[in-house]
Amino acid sequence: MRLTPRTTAAAFLAVGALALSATFLSGCKKAEARKEGELLIGFSSRDLSAEYTAKLSEAIVDYAKTKPGVKLVMVDAQSDVQKQFSQVENFIAQKVDAIILNPCELEASTPAVDRIKAAGIPLVLVNQTTKSAGDSYIGSNDFEAGRIAMEAIAKKLNGQGGVLMLHGIMGTSAQLQREAGAREVFAKYPGLKLVDHQTASWDRAKAMALTENWIQAHKGKFSAVFAHNDEMAMGALLALERAQLKKDVYVIGIDAIAQALSAVKEGRLDATVFQDAVGQGKGSVDAAILLAKKQSCPKETMIPFQLITRDNLSQFLK
Amino acid sequence: MLTLDRNLLHRFGLLFVILLVGLGLTLTTDTFLSVANLTNVARQVSINGILAVGVTFVLLTAGVDLSLGSVVALSGVACATFAHPGDHPVFVPIAVGLLTGAACGLVNGVLVTRGGVAPFIVTLGMMTIARGLALIVSGGRPVANMSNELIPVLCFAGVALAAWFFLRNFRLGRHIYAVGGNENAARAAGVPVERVKLFAYGLCGLLTGLAGVVLAARITTGQPNAGQAYELDAIAAVVIGGTSLAGGVGTITGTLLGVLLIGVINNGLDLLGVSSYYQAVIKGVIIVGAVWLDRRQARS
Repeated sequence: MRLTPRTTAAAFLAVGALALSATFLSGCKKAEARKEGELLIGFSSRDLSAEYTAKLSEAIVDYAKTKPGVKLVMVDAQSDVQKQFSQVENFIAQKVDAIILNPCELEASTPAVDRIKAAGIPLVLVNQTTKSAGDSYIGSNDFEAGRIAMEAIAKKLNGQGGVLMLHGIMGTSAQLQREAGAREVFAKYPGLKLVDHQTASWDRAKAMALTENWIQAHKGKFSAVFAHNDEMAMGALLALERAQLKKDVYVIGIDAIAQALSAVKEGRLDATVFQDAVGQGKGSVDAAILLAKKQSCPKETMIPFQLITRDNLSQFLK
Repeated sequence: MLTLDRNLLHRFGLLFVILLVGLGLTLTTDTFLSVANLTNVARQVSINGILAVGVTFVLLTAGVDLSLGSVVALSGVACATFAHPGDHPVFVPIAVGLLTGAACGLVNGVLVTRGGVAPFIVTLGMMTIARGLALIVSGGRPVANMSNELIPVLCFAGVALAAWFFLRNFRLGRHIYAVGGNENAARAAGVPVERVKLFAYGLCGLLTGLAGVVLAARITTGQPNAGQAYELDAIAAVVIGGTSLAGGVGTITGTLLGVLLIGVINNGLDLLGVSSYYQAVIKGVIIVGAVWLDRRQARS
């Protein structure tokens, strides 16, 4: 490279910027230096743009604030396994006292879990398991959620009729477990038929298009839709309403997001299954604190699901 | 005369593939060829169609726009934010959505023309910036305000017709081809190259904003995580339709056929009940196969 005045100036600028950022970084480090005895907890959330995860993350942050002597740092992995892995590495480098991990995926997030365990940092997994276990798992048994939803359908249809199932992203533990729970109910009621099933990737627009296509392919052959989450249930609902078929079809989702609750209230959506974000959030912060203090903590805490219909809705509306 | 013939062959090649897929679906399902289902297909291709028409302009200038999906999300969220029933007359949220898209497109255009940064990089940057802004504006949560439905098919048809007419009959339309075909020659011939490119990116942004508004109206919410990878479907449709990634060659009718092929495949795989795992593979094979068959026919 020739040293023209311009390149020289650029080089000086670059060096200056580096020096400046170094000062900033060291400054931050000083500011972040922990007070004696303060516990630092790192929390990596799967995806803040997903409504349930956002609710869970908010619960974790809020609850940690009520705990004196605890500092919680939250980062968002945006459903990116790779990004979450680097976030975990950063936590390890910061020598946090405990990590709360809301893993992106069952298989792919396992290396991140192994890395944390190799570093000897206490680990709490929340709402999604991985192949390797953490020191504690706080979740709700998704198998149970799938079973509750399908049981509601079986009851409504008196064990007779066609069902469509919308899967979440294939291979996530929530999808696998919710499907397995539903399949158990199918095995119990021979009159219940799975007409078709397909993934809509937790996505409302995809669920809507898929349901529109199903209405063409299977019109009259199904009387219930089970969606693995409420986003997709809302999509299916919109498609059925547009085709003026909603009155003949029972629609149920899982998660009890705000929009699903108001749809239940308006009598549009039939039911949803409540997953207790606040309960999960509190449980994971409590577990992280116990582990960071080297106290014993249960390996697994299950926060129960509940079926929400119009009849018991008022308990869940804040 | 020769070029006209080749264009016709080209177009018929793709049409042939679509008819083949359609015939296959008619024989294997008893629902594909019904008014209700074809209406569904039309509605489902509309959003990708609007995006594809927009990005055709950019691809014709030998540029690219990777920010489509994120800008769809941002425009949808911006639109829904102003769509609270009773707050504003209905045109306000629509205008906000359109202008948000147009603004993103113009920023892309300015950075490409004035900044001299490669379109791939500029729009890659916009892709993450717009996604981030969508999350910031919405606080990471879906914005549920939308109640009025726009008619996606009408929007798509209007956009396609206007774009087709514009590229054929307006001087600026012909300038777009000139810039993509040979930028230096166009400049020497007095074409205002920078302004033409700025127009292409701005228009693409405006149409992306429209797609965002239409999507938000369809799913009754502005979703910050909507539109993931929409740019890939749109660009695939345009390229299937015979537009060259090197610029200068391509038509709106070709783009329409490309959009239609992708839409028919998506619809058909659902109707046939093909498992999720296989759908992705089959889709890829048909897309590459269609382009291959089409190019072969065009050459012969």
